[in-house]
Amino acid sequence: MTKSLLTLAILSSTAFADDPAPKIDISKLPQQTQMVDEVVVPVPSEIFTVLDKLGKPNWTAVLRAPKGTLKSFGTEPQIALRLGTVIAEGFVAVEAEDATAVKDIGKSVLSLATALSVDKEVKRRANAIIGAADAKDWKLVRKELDGALREVKDAMKSLNSEQLSHLVSLGGWLRGTEALCDVVNKNYSKDGADLLRQQMLLSYFDGKLKVMSKDKALKHVLIPKIQAGLTGIQPLIGLSPDADISAKSVKEIGDITAGLVKAIQTK
Amino acid sequence: MKRFIFQLLTILTLSLTNVCATVDDALSYALEGATPYVKEGFTVREDWWGGDLAVKTQKAVVHQLFKNNQYWFWIGTESPTSKVTVHVYDSDGNLCEVEAFSKGRIAGARVIPKKTGTYYIIVEIEKSDRERTHWAMAYGFR
Repeated sequence: MTKSLLTLAILSSTAFADDPAPKIDISKLPQQTQMVDEVVVPVPSEIFTVLDKLGKPNWTAVLRAPKGTLKSFGTEPQIALRLGTVIAEGFVAVEAEDATAVKDIGKSVLSLATALSVDKEVKRRANAIIGAADAKDWKLVRKELDGALREVKDAMKSLNSEQLSHLVSLGGWLRGTEALCDVVNKNYSKDGADLLRQQMLLSYFDGKLKVMSKDKALKHVLIPKIQAGLTGIQPLIGLSPDADISAKSVKEIGDITAGLVKAIQTK
Repeated sequence: MKRFIFQLLTILTLSLTNVCATVDDALSYALEGATPYVKEGFTVREDWWGGDLAVKTQKAVVHQLFKNNQYWFWIGTESPTSKVTVHVYDSDGNLCEVEAFSKGRIAGARVIPKKTGTYYIIVEIEKSDRERTHWAMAYGFR
């Protein structure tokens, strides 16, 4: 099974026989804490699909295009985090419709994947990203970037590097969140800021980092640094389900994630 | 001894093949459920979730959904005589799908989230001729 899921024993066994129950008691779900481990992490395309509907931000100003093909440095945890940030940058490059940047990002994804021994699985995707960028087929580039992210993670799991695969997701989430904050900061709207309401994902990543911090093979100065960053973000997006996320909070989240992304991308 | 090991390996291989085949079957039916909606512009994520369930038991998939998107969740099962359902609840436990269907081994539910946050996708095998029925879930968004 790709993902193990939580059994919902608390629900009435006939709850959905004909009509579904109009309300269930989420607080009484058994082993609720375990559900945090099983949250579905959305693909970046889902967030960018919303952003498409909220206007036309200046993505060129948000884009940090790599200069040529990036080379790997550091140990595996840092490379995995960096690979995640690069894939996320690919989505920004698509929004900016910058074919050169997308192609450099495609090559950089392959370069970093090689350092993690998952290049074989990613090569086809990287080539597809480059080909679609040449054709300026932005929708296809997005699809291939989503696919690259999945294949990197699947390949890592098959190499028994599941923890590293979580770091790829986390790197992508950090850069994606930084870019999102940047866009919302430039033209604040409640709907835009609402995209940051991702408490369950924060808890999910925090849980993964806690496990990793006990693993000597994954020991890296970035792990506690990112844990501290996530702890700082939590109150800014989790005050109340109905409370708006203020412009000040968006800026603070942006500052925290920018600092972490910079640390990931620095030798 | 060699013969025993060979037999054991054969049984293990056949069992694994069977498990993969059944989940693959379930996924192919989930994707069959998705087909009409792809034509309506839904992007189907290249990933899936699944497992096996006894009759009248449920699984919950916890999902982060975003306001301003809409989502379809599709479930398929391995068994042609089974009946599966899927429903979506928000973080307050309120049923929040705008439509749902259950056609034997294929079911679906569509959600237009009123707010960004955590949602619970509840899958149930209502009936089946098997003790445990393999199921798979795919989803799409636009």
